[in-house]
Amino acid sequence: MSNSGPDPERLRELGARLDEIHGGGRKERLPSTATGIVMRLATELVVGPFVGGAMGFGLDWLTGFFGIHTKPVLTILMFLLGAAAGVRNVMRTAQKLNAQGQPGATDDRE
Amino acid sequence: MAAGPMEQFEIRPLFGDHPLFSIGGHPIFFTNQALWMIIVTGAVSLFMTFAMSRRSLVPNRAQSMAELAYEFVANMINTAAGEEGLRFFPMIFTIFMFVATANFMGLLPGSFTVTSQICVTLALTMLIILTVIVTGFVTHGIGFLKLFVPKAPIYMLPVLVPLEFISFCTRPMSLSVRLFANMLAGHTMLKVMAGFVVALGAMAVTSKAWMAPLSLAPMALIVAVTGLEILVAFLQAYVFAILACIYLGEAIHLHDNH
Repeated sequence: MSNSGPDPERLRELGARLDEIHGGGRKERLPSTATGIVMRLATELVVGPFVGGAMGFGLDWLTGFFGIHTKPVLTILMFLLGAAAGVRNVMRTAQKLNAQGQPGATDDRE
Repeated sequence: MAAGPMEQFEIRPLFGDHPLFSIGGHPIFFTNQALWMIIVTGAVSLFMTFAMSRRSLVPNRAQSMAELAYEFVANMINTAAGEEGLRFFPMIFTIFMFVATANFMGLLPGSFTVTSQICVTLALTMLIILTVIVTGFVTHGIGFLKLFVPKAPIYMLPVLVPLEFISFCTRPMSLSVRLFANMLAGHTMLKVMAGFVVALGAMAVTSKAWMAPLSLAPMALIVAVTGLEILVAFLQAYVFAILACIYLGEAIHLHDNH
């Protein structure tokens, strides 16, 4: 055994054996913990109306700038749309996680 | 020292009040935040360089840690964004290591938690979202806008398209607020409970000395919460990185992967 670096032939052999032990292709699902999911969903829900409201406020300012007075209307509308977007985000994440959790279950809505 | 629970998040200029330089009359200070960002970046770079400097076939402890981190992130990108997502490995790896190390270092006594500042998390998020948008338009051209058109009956689209657009716009906000709020809340909670320990312990010198041993209760709670905070520190870095991967994956594959 010489010290001139690892022997490529033996390396390949070792790799093949390692693959065998690991069960060939490593197809792992997203390792997700319950806490991580809860935090994700909670912020998703809270931030939606905030961003929607902020966008509506900006649009109101913009229309006011051009002389059309829509002042509270767009803010309210976008706030509600933002809330809806938040709920939709949560639903989508939950659906994705459901589909992941049960390999047999198919998701026909998306 | 009756330090308020929020005092740990204060950004102070170091080296007295001398600004480093000024841009357009606005003084730029070297703050404790800048210092800790440099420390975090330096620690990650040093560790990775040192760990891989004497790389061998059979890794030693440091090398295994570096390889573990590499494989963890590579797996994460592979599952969340697919093969093509591995192009972004350097970016995701850097962000993950930075956020994770900053979170962990923030738990050291006397340190400053860089990720508890929304300007830091928002800057990271803007980098990610800009990458997503640029990648989307480069790979799909104007077809990237199909991201906002979900598969639904045509009469639902006038409602769903604005909804999708808003939900896309909430991403930078939710990504940055999640990380910053978690770090801020955890550290504040620890500080408040530490305040209880001091307040109850100080009862020993008053007429209600019997109350002093009660300070052991918040003390025990601090130990437990510190454990939780270590979990949160890792979890938030993980969530931050995996969401970046998911967004990138969406930009690369549009709708076809889910």
